[in-house]
Amino acid sequence: MRAATAALIAVALAAPALAVDPSIAQGGKQELQRACVPCHSLRLVESQRLSAAAWGKELDKMQRWGAIIKDRQVLLDYLSREYPDTKPVPQPEHSGDGTKASTQSH
Amino acid sequence: MAGLLALPAALAYGEEPIKIPGKRAMLLHNDRPEDLETPLEYFNTWITPNDVFFVRQHLPRPKTDEATHRIAVSGRVNKEMELSVEDLRKLPQYTVAATLECTGNARGLFRPRVPGIQWGRGAIGNAEWSGPRLSDVLKLAGADGNASWVTVNGADVGVAKTPDFIRSFKMEKALHPATLLALQMNGQPLPDLHGFPVRLVVPGWDGTSWVKWVTTLSIANEPDTGFFMNPAYRFPKHAVPPGTGANPADLEIIEAMPVKSYITSPADQDRIGLAPTVLRGIAWAGEQRVSRVEVSTDAGRHWTDARLSPKNLPFAWRLWSLEWTPQQAGYFVILSRATDTAGNVQPIAATWNPSGYLYNAIDQVGVTVEKQA
Repeated sequence: MRAATAALIAVALAAPALAVDPSIAQGGKQELQRACVPCHSLRLVESQRLSAAAWGKELDKMQRWGAIIKDRQVLLDYLSREYPDTKPVPQPEHSGDGTKASTQSH
Repeated sequence: MAGLLALPAALAYGEEPIKIPGKRAMLLHNDRPEDLETPLEYFNTWITPNDVFFVRQHLPRPKTDEATHRIAVSGRVNKEMELSVEDLRKLPQYTVAATLECTGNARGLFRPRVPGIQWGRGAIGNAEWSGPRLSDVLKLAGADGNASWVTVNGADVGVAKTPDFIRSFKMEKALHPATLLALQMNGQPLPDLHGFPVRLVVPGWDGTSWVKWVTTLSIANEPDTGFFMNPAYRFPKHAVPPGTGANPADLEIIEAMPVKSYITSPADQDRIGLAPTVLRGIAWAGEQRVSRVEVSTDAGRHWTDARLSPKNLPFAWRLWSLEWTPQQAGYFVILSRATDTAGNVQPIAATWNPSGYLYNAIDQVGVTVEKQA
């Protein structure tokens, strides 16, 4: 009984993740890498929290600026789902100490 | 997957923290190009050291060579000319202490969120900048002082079709004796990330005006019309409902930064002992001077004037302090608000705007006071 309950909870917890076809999520991630990374790091994207409409405007701007987005809808869906304005922003990471970079290179 | 690995910036996200040459540990908003925030613990000194000074770049950092670097002066001038760094050194040198604040500093505090770097409070610093006056360079070329605008470009260029980072500002500010073409920052040659070998210093104005790696100055009766003058770095004349756009005709070029203060010690969510302590902070006011900093230790019910440091220079922040003896243990909300010489007071709430500029609400930290064992 207990095992059955645990299994049910596990299914219930997993359900929201299963709602998105993993192959679509993977496609969005690949499109993000392919279209955005040539010009800037992904930190810039992943630190934003925007509505779908605001993400659309960002994609418009980036397309004007030369980003080659092959599948806009897949990318827009991915960004809107992964980085919505309802989700908190993680604290930015700290960089390492670059004042000692030369002495630590070996 | 192989496709992903082939890309340059599946660049180390994870294991080893990224190191930025010449910088101590910084809050990393973007590593390509580098956008770095200063941790707040460094704001307890009047000078912000170069190796922790914040960095904002719109475009990839250019490679510059001091020996071949030139500044071309053109447009409404008697003679077009090119100046080397050596030429700039031959002009009288001046040092100006000035606070440099990113136009979007603390953007991350606006709700709803707006696109752009989600800066916390650390996109600011105070330094001593040295170099010739911009006005002396303009005089050399015989610039028409009646022309209205100076347009400045740097050696950085946009990737793909990203617009070039070009800024224009009014002749009056260009001719101000404190406006410099700086070759040094805190007595050192400008670090690469801060515009080596020469950057503009526009004291009191938003960081966006302080163009780095300066290569051209052109004198005209009109400002540049590129993206970074319009619509970027403009502020709506009339407040708009949060989450909505602004009427483009209502957008005005941002110039001076507004009055503002920080509580730098204790830090937010610190635990301190039940004993006399000193609250510390900084305050600045763009082109005005700070005339007053008030502090509340009870969430704004009562306010007390803090002591301002005697060093009171135009354009540079002032340190403030206030002795505080908590009467009992518990949690305290501490606030600071600055007033400038024009009578502007930090507001309780910052004005939301679509690009998240000019955040200057009253500063706040929470502190737990504990009975000492």
